[in-house]
Amino acid sequence: MPLLFLPDWVEPVARYMFKVGLPATLKVSAIALTTSTLIGVTLGTLLTIHFFPSRALIRTYIEVWRGLPIIVTLFLVYFAAPQISPTLEFGPLTAGTITLTLWGSAQIAEATRGAVQSIPREQHEAASALGFGWTGRHLYVILPQALRRLIPPLVSLLVGIILNTTLIQVIGGAELLETAERSVERLASPTPPEFTPGDIKAFEIYGGVMVMFFLITFPLTRLAAYLERRLV
Amino acid sequence: MTLALTYDLWGFLSENWEALLRGLGRTIEVSAIAVIGSFLIGLVLGAARAHRVPVVSQLATIYVEVIRNTPILVQIFFLYFGLGQFESTRFDVFTVAWLSITIWGGAFNTENFRAGFEAVPYRFREAGLALGFSRLATFFNVTLPIGGRIALPSSINTYIAVVKNTALLYVIAYEELTTTAFQIQALTLETLEAFTLIGIVYLILVWSLSAGIRVLESHLALPEAR
Repeated sequence: MPLLFLPDWVEPVARYMFKVGLPATLKVSAIALTTSTLIGVTLGTLLTIHFFPSRALIRTYIEVWRGLPIIVTLFLVYFAAPQISPTLEFGPLTAGTITLTLWGSAQIAEATRGAVQSIPREQHEAASALGFGWTGRHLYVILPQALRRLIPPLVSLLVGIILNTTLIQVIGGAELLETAERSVERLASPTPPEFTPGDIKAFEIYGGVMVMFFLITFPLTRLAAYLERRLV
Repeated sequence: MTLALTYDLWGFLSENWEALLRGLGRTIEVSAIAVIGSFLIGLVLGAARAHRVPVVSQLATIYVEVIRNTPILVQIFFLYFGLGQFESTRFDVFTVAWLSITIWGGAFNTENFRAGFEAVPYRFREAGLALGFSRLATFFNVTLPIGGRIALPSSINTYIAVVKNTALLYVIAYEELTTTAFQIQALTLETLEAFTLIGIVYLILVWSLSAGIRVLESHLALPEAR
């Protein structure tokens, strides 16, 4: 379908970004959100146990991955980890997913701890009285109630993850920003004969990337704000 | 030049401390500018939004939503490469460095301050006006001291995020801590040492900031919140 009133270069660039970049961004975001939630909820629940070694360990995990700039974590995962063992060598998209999982699970662990501790003691006591052990009590009684309070932070985390997938561009994974960057480079280099050589379209393309991210995340931030108001 | 075959963090530090210290200095410099800049932006636009100043308030809303809903990395790309496409808006690396981080922090801080100012009960402002204070004097003597303190915890989180975001300036090759470490390990192949070291430096920076800030917070907390 020809795009009316748009210059020639727009269509191939848009097609490349929508076919390669956008799916990668969405896929990494979806996987990172799922793994972050699973790991974060588990760690956050375990953090409520009053047992010093496990608490110290989980606390350290949370403070380290929340404290580091995500790009430094990414460099540690992508460049430094393979030096420890060759089995720790990952592609850019996988390294990005791992990095976002470390960061995201730390955020969710902290939120889960708060949510679990906000459940009244009577709920624990009632569940114990019904014969539930620690695992059953948390799995069937406490967490289902705590998860309600976790929904707004989870939506905010999804926004954070989506925005931070762009960091994968730094290590060359073909997500949305990287496909945009490659398009800018291609248009600027004189190789494709169909375009004017040295055609710099950075303003248009990066502006377009900003619009795309805005269209994805703005509804989500509105949703997070709405859920927060409704659930409080 | 020796190739790293073993993990020697101390050796790495003692060989490269001068370059790393210069990088850390630039990280702190950009952070300081951006913290001050985002404080001022937050103060002015947060007040404009809380008091619903026409036009300014609407423009501030657009600014906040655009910055908060787009990746900061793309914002840096847009400022440096996008605007760099035109002669009149071509900035050097340092300008883009502090400007991009300040714009980002300013947007988050506008929201922090808006929430803080709006949390000040309206009757306090009425009382100020009734005492004969002008609107501006009421803001500085009533709304700011109370609302500013309410906004303190969230704005402090923004400042910590500002410091962490300076690491992203690697993408425009501004030689702060991350870029410096990256360049060193590209030469010496001490990848593990370089990134663990800057990881430790950032953690010390971020942790001591949040610890120091908790002290400040308890000093500045509103009497009834103590």
